[in-house]
Amino acid sequence: MNPAATVVESLLPLPVLLPLLGAGAALVLAGRPTLQRWVSVGVLSAVVVVAAVLVAGAAERPRVVTVGSWPAPLGITLVADQLSTIMLLTSMSVTLLVLLYAIGQGTSDDDSRTPVSIFHPTYLVLAAGVANAFLSGDLFNLYVGFEVLLMASYVLLTLGGTRSRVRAGLTYVVVNVVSSLIFLAGIALVYAAVGTLNLAQISERMAAVPAGTQLTIHLVLLTAFGIKAAVFPLSAWLPDSYPTAAAPVTAVFAGLLTKVGVYSIIRTQTLLFPGDTVARDILMVAALLTMVIGALGAIAQDDIKRVLSFTLVSHIGYMIFGVALGTAAGVGAAVFYVVHHITVQATLFCVAGLVERVGGSTSTTRLAGLAAASPLLAVLYFVPAINLGGIPPLSGFVGKLGLIEAGVQDGSVLAWFLVGGAVLTSLLTLYAMAKVWVLAFWRPRDQLPVEHPEDAEVNDLDVADDPDRRYPVMIGAGRGRTGAESYSGALLGAPSAVADQEREVVALPRAMTAATGALVAVGLALTVFAGPLYSLTDRAAADLTARTPYVQAVFAQAVDDRVVR
Amino acid sequence: MLVLLAVHAAAALVAPLLVRSLGRTAFVGLALVPAAAFAWILTQLPAVLGGQAHGEGFTWIPALGVEVAVRLDPLSAMLSLLVTGVGALVVLYCARYFTPSSGGLPRFAGVLLAFAGAMLALVWADDVVMLYVCWELTTIFSFLLVGQDAHKRASRAAAMQALTVTAAGGLTMLVGLVILAEAAGSYRLSAIVAAGPTLGGAAVTAGVVCVLVGALSKSALIPFHFWLPSAMAAPTPVSAFLHAAAMVKAGVYLVLRFAPGFADDAGWRPVIAIAAALTMLLGGIVAARQTDLKLLLAHGTVSQLGFMLLLAGAGTRDAALAAAGLVVAHALFKSALFLTVGVIDRCAGTRDLRELSGLARRAPVLAVVGTLAAASMAGIPPLFGFVTKEGAFEAFLHRAYGPWAGVLLAVVVLGSVLTVAYSARFVLGAFTDVFTTGGRSEWIRPGALFLAAPAVLGLASLVAGFAVGPITPLLTGYADTLAASYPTPLQLKLWPGFTVALGLSALAIVLGLLLALPRVIEPLSRVRPLNAVRSEVTWRALVHAVEKGALRVTVQTQRGSLQVVLCTVLGVLLLGPGVVLVASGALSEIRVDRFADSPAQVVAALLAVVSTVAAARAKRRLAAVLLVGGLGYAVAVIFALAGAPDVALTQALVETMTLVVVVLVLRRLPADITEHHTPARRWARLAIAAPIGVLVALLGATALGSRTAEPVSRAFPSQAYGFGAGQNVVNVTLVDIRAWDTIGELSVLLAAATGVASLVFLDRRTGTPPGARRRRRAPVGPGPVAGSGWLRGPTLERLARQLRPGPRVTERTLLLEVVTRLVFPTIMVLSIYFLFAGHNAPGGGFAGGLLAGLALVVRYVAGGRYELGEAAPVEAGTLLGAGLLLAGLSGAAGLLLGGEVLQTYVIEGDVPVLGHVKFVSSLVFDVGVYLIVVGLVLDILRSLGAELDRLGDTPGPSNSPTRPSGQEVPA
Repeated sequence: MNPAATVVESLLPLPVLLPLLGAGAALVLAGRPTLQRWVSVGVLSAVVVVAAVLVAGAAERPRVVTVGSWPAPLGITLVADQLSTIMLLTSMSVTLLVLLYAIGQGTSDDDSRTPVSIFHPTYLVLAAGVANAFLSGDLFNLYVGFEVLLMASYVLLTLGGTRSRVRAGLTYVVVNVVSSLIFLAGIALVYAAVGTLNLAQISERMAAVPAGTQLTIHLVLLTAFGIKAAVFPLSAWLPDSYPTAAAPVTAVFAGLLTKVGVYSIIRTQTLLFPGDTVARDILMVAALLTMVIGALGAIAQDDIKRVLSFTLVSHIGYMIFGVALGTAAGVGAAVFYVVHHITVQATLFCVAGLVERVGGSTSTTRLAGLAAASPLLAVLYFVPAINLGGIPPLSGFVGKLGLIEAGVQDGSVLAWFLVGGAVLTSLLTLYAMAKVWVLAFWRPRDQLPVEHPEDAEVNDLDVADDPDRRYPVMIGAGRGRTGAESYSGALLGAPSAVADQEREVVALPRAMTAATGALVAVGLALTVFAGPLYSLTDRAAADLTARTPYVQAVFAQAVDDRVVR
Repeated sequence: MLVLLAVHAAAALVAPLLVRSLGRTAFVGLALVPAAAFAWILTQLPAVLGGQAHGEGFTWIPALGVEVAVRLDPLSAMLSLLVTGVGALVVLYCARYFTPSSGGLPRFAGVLLAFAGAMLALVWADDVVMLYVCWELTTIFSFLLVGQDAHKRASRAAAMQALTVTAAGGLTMLVGLVILAEAAGSYRLSAIVAAGPTLGGAAVTAGVVCVLVGALSKSALIPFHFWLPSAMAAPTPVSAFLHAAAMVKAGVYLVLRFAPGFADDAGWRPVIAIAAALTMLLGGIVAARQTDLKLLLAHGTVSQLGFMLLLAGAGTRDAALAAAGLVVAHALFKSALFLTVGVIDRCAGTRDLRELSGLARRAPVLAVVGTLAAASMAGIPPLFGFVTKEGAFEAFLHRAYGPWAGVLLAVVVLGSVLTVAYSARFVLGAFTDVFTTGGRSEWIRPGALFLAAPAVLGLASLVAGFAVGPITPLLTGYADTLAASYPTPLQLKLWPGFTVALGLSALAIVLGLLLALPRVIEPLSRVRPLNAVRSEVTWRALVHAVEKGALRVTVQTQRGSLQVVLCTVLGVLLLGPGVVLVASGALSEIRVDRFADSPAQVVAALLAVVSTVAAARAKRRLAAVLLVGGLGYAVAVIFALAGAPDVALTQALVETMTLVVVVLVLRRLPADITEHHTPARRWARLAIAAPIGVLVALLGATALGSRTAEPVSRAFPSQAYGFGAGQNVVNVTLVDIRAWDTIGELSVLLAAATGVASLVFLDRRTGTPPGARRRRRAPVGPGPVAGSGWLRGPTLERLARQLRPGPRVTERTLLLEVVTRLVFPTIMVLSIYFLFAGHNAPGGGFAGGLLAGLALVVRYVAGGRYELGEAAPVEAGTLLGAGLLLAGLSGAAGLLLGGEVLQTYVIEGDVPVLGHVKFVSSLVFDVGVYLIVVGLVLDILRSLGAELDRLGDTPGPSNSPTRPSGQEVPA
């Protein structure tokens, strides 16, 4: 190993290790909130820098670390290839910005009830889990990464412990535990069949396994990842749980968690089980349904956070579309789209938090006149909103263009359907985003319906009225779902007052606005630098579809280790 | 060229500032930007018309073949002259159209300039992706411009409508463009068009149709026509620019651009001919019935766009020439007319032709300008509109559209009759009192600057008529790229001589004027069915259908029920892997060579099965929990039988700990399981659960049967000692081989502990240990309290009770106190032993930590919550944090020492007293594990134990675990 190489490789474990140390430190520093904040911000900033170095390092070849010097098949390998590092840099940048937003929200609230000492360590643990999932070269360790981020997410989701959050948390926790069980079963199956957990080695050995067994294991893993990624029909849990959480929590969840699932699907499709046509067709159909049904769901909502939760699900379909195609063009577009989507979705949820702050609600039946009240907020919403809606030249468009190109190149009947579905979804998303704009931003306050119609028509239909279908809630059952109650007393929370027409418009909190502005700027940067970025994702996809760079890097490292010893 | 586009962008950014500081007059300066572009294009004209197209560009996204490429050829020169020329005049006009008090003017200025830039880039673009980018940018800017008066409901609805319709068309077009580009192998517009004639096949035809859909939607052709009249809610300058000169021409431009390459495609002519012919007629009919001058113009525009597209789509040289001429003529007269209406609207306060009266007298200049422009629209000589209409008739006489030329000629003539009719209606309605019923008298004199733009445009129609000679090269420059289909090529002339076309023109004028007479048109316009063509109906129906459909789909797919979600997940598992397992024949991989390893294994397995079934049927919570625990212990037995005492020990300890925790929680729940389900529901659950269980078992057996290679764990025992310096393989695996997993799981524990605390303590995470608090604030008791002296906790509790009696006072047994006092140190020592011995013997940090945790449990159970504070006077958070820090740092140490992360080092040496000591650095890691486990248990005892006790003690209604009162119990 040359010395230059070791620098990159010795940095490789840091995106996981640093947040964990930070979490430990934050817990020890429980009584000193200011110091805690510095620790969190410092740690995540460092991780972003490290991630940037890793992106550069991985561009050359996949970087591999064998933890504890245990050679590849025995111990755990960490692999930073282009896919991992791109995902890592994007997600950690967004995590950092959302942290700043959260700090801004907490500080400006000056709320002594804010349990910061839970928020900071847990948030860092979440970051560590996400980083670990991206960097792991070992199937079981990937599972551990999932567990880390999920456990942290359980805590963050229920932060504040309001009824609606506990209810939503229950759905979220149970579904995710089930998905983890399925994943664990999948790991057991993989180990039973090929006797190894090392991804590179699985990929080498799996070809020898009988086709039927391969496909069943493949589908078990896809089911597990499909739940995490919220692929239809495994997506219903997401819109039921995300919207209740505090704005920064939802923002970071929306940005990261489903994408970890998407990442795992990419690995499954490209590294472990390449070229399986049955799974490919299943994924393509799922992608189509995810896109269209999700977008229709977004239209049917009148709460911004719920709209965004549905667009989140819907656009997962785009990524699955690209991955399912399996061509370098498709996977490249999917990876680009992931980067775009992480950013834009987190941005929009942050904006929703600001909207809540300024307008006192996130329901379009209660909001009005925001464009006049706060032109800056209007810009902060409008740019990411049309970006999500696929208006060119913004990054969402670039991703969709890549997908359409890949679909047209593929030319199969299903691919044509998907191209059509992608376009339709783009239109529906734009419609949903424009609807929010027209109602919440353009409509003047005096044109709000005099009586707030109890959202009855649209909102209450998607919660079952049948008492048998209620959530089995252990603690504090209640049916309040999207009402003001869910947002009140929030951790990093919002004023609980329901907007009434005479309500004074609150000024934008500076730190939160700055963080949101930075996120919008990141989104715009993705557009401006779409060329180099797309080249990067394209190369990543080429490596992924070729498979050999990953596998070779892992085993070359193994050989190195043996030599060292 | 790119510089000019950049200037537009910069102007768009600066415009709001300018308008804010200078007011509406800033528009005069802003008009210079498009004017400069206009001037530049003029300087390039000789070269461009000489056949030298000017191009610039750079690559934007090489991976997708996307470039920012612009090209100035005769067609783009012609359109960009219109865009910039009309644009400059419209921007100038804004300086007086808006009142100084108009709201949102800075934003408007910025968006208008941005639109001008996007439109210019659209006609210059030589890359299909860039074309699409500009196309949608004009859509989004038009959305903002149409919604300028957002306080009006109509404006918002119109903006939304225009956005949705044109974006739908645009997206379709994008697909078409990509299909054509992939077929042609290039994203260069010029290259695609050049390759056009060689391409064929269903995909290309689909692509062509998709592109046409985009063009039709942007140019407001049937069936997309309805958005344009609604968009008249926009301020008039916007209508003049977007809906007359620029944006709606984008569709025409696209068709003109693609016609040389794709006019002969099977999909091309039928689509265009039908849509365009219908549009021309229906638009004309509706226009002739309007009373709002602006709407009249809007429907007239729809009709004229149909006319233009009919010509542009013909794909012959003569039709293309006529189309190009018509595009120019239309831009001139229609923007002049819109601006005229804007002046009327502002100065008379209305634009309803029934209310306007005497304008010819009061505003002679305006009347002349308006009449000139309307005459051009009607095709009256010597205006430019006449020249182009003659050309159009000629083109159809020259057999554009082959056999259908005759029919289409009839359509065009009929359309022209309607055009004359609504043109006449416009003039008569606006400037005379022919239609006036209830006149309004006010009239504010417009200033010179206000009139300048319409006047220039109106006169241009006149001048262009005479200057048709000099203008022609600009038009033929494009038209000549198409093959001539007729022996004598068409020439645009002011006086063509007595031809058939002239006769048709005369016919159209006469019939049109007759139709315009109030006596004729009034009864006609009362015929209601024609309203069906109006936009609102179609649009609302469509939107309602989508919204309703969306709702219905969402109601079906988003039940909001956890059970439905779980059933879906399990159903997917059964339908996916389950079906494949059976269908693919993978079951044949299963190999069974023995029933069990030992009889004891069978017993343990039976125990597991029985406890599972019984747990599912249990009526009481405690029973269910204990039965689930039984399953766990059975699994521990199976581990032990398989030769893994360490795993078995850990499993048993975890099971015990879990039981303790659950029992702590159960104190706060009803004893019985209160949810009851109907038998049908229970059977349904069984019908899902049982197959899932069978499936997992079969999957496991299949996978094992399919094993192809030796598992890596075979190497673990030798490697554990050789490289990991430990004899306990499990421990070495946990703290060394797979320590990276362990560190992850440690953070899971940490997060779990904080999570429990977060839910229970809600507002005070750190939940000061009761004992510690007591030490700070010594109780001022009424006197000495009798205590056993074995444990301090119960004494403290009694003290507290004396101060504030709670609802329940539980006396604890002395025996338990004594035993605890004696046993606690022993357990702690054993736990420390486990920690240190773990590397070579059963034990380890995890098991040791759990044991210590159990010791704490014993103290808590025996002595209550104050005893817990006595036993562990530290913050749980500190233990957790310190543990993770220790584990993490021991991992990082490897990096710092130049090895890998979590690398293990062995230090051996002779130490006095202890003798020969072999220190393995992974012990530090294990201490971290130990601390975290103890911290977790402590945290759980504090929150689920002590805090719930406290909440139980607190009188009042607010003692639910989710909503604790924020008050402290005074101690």
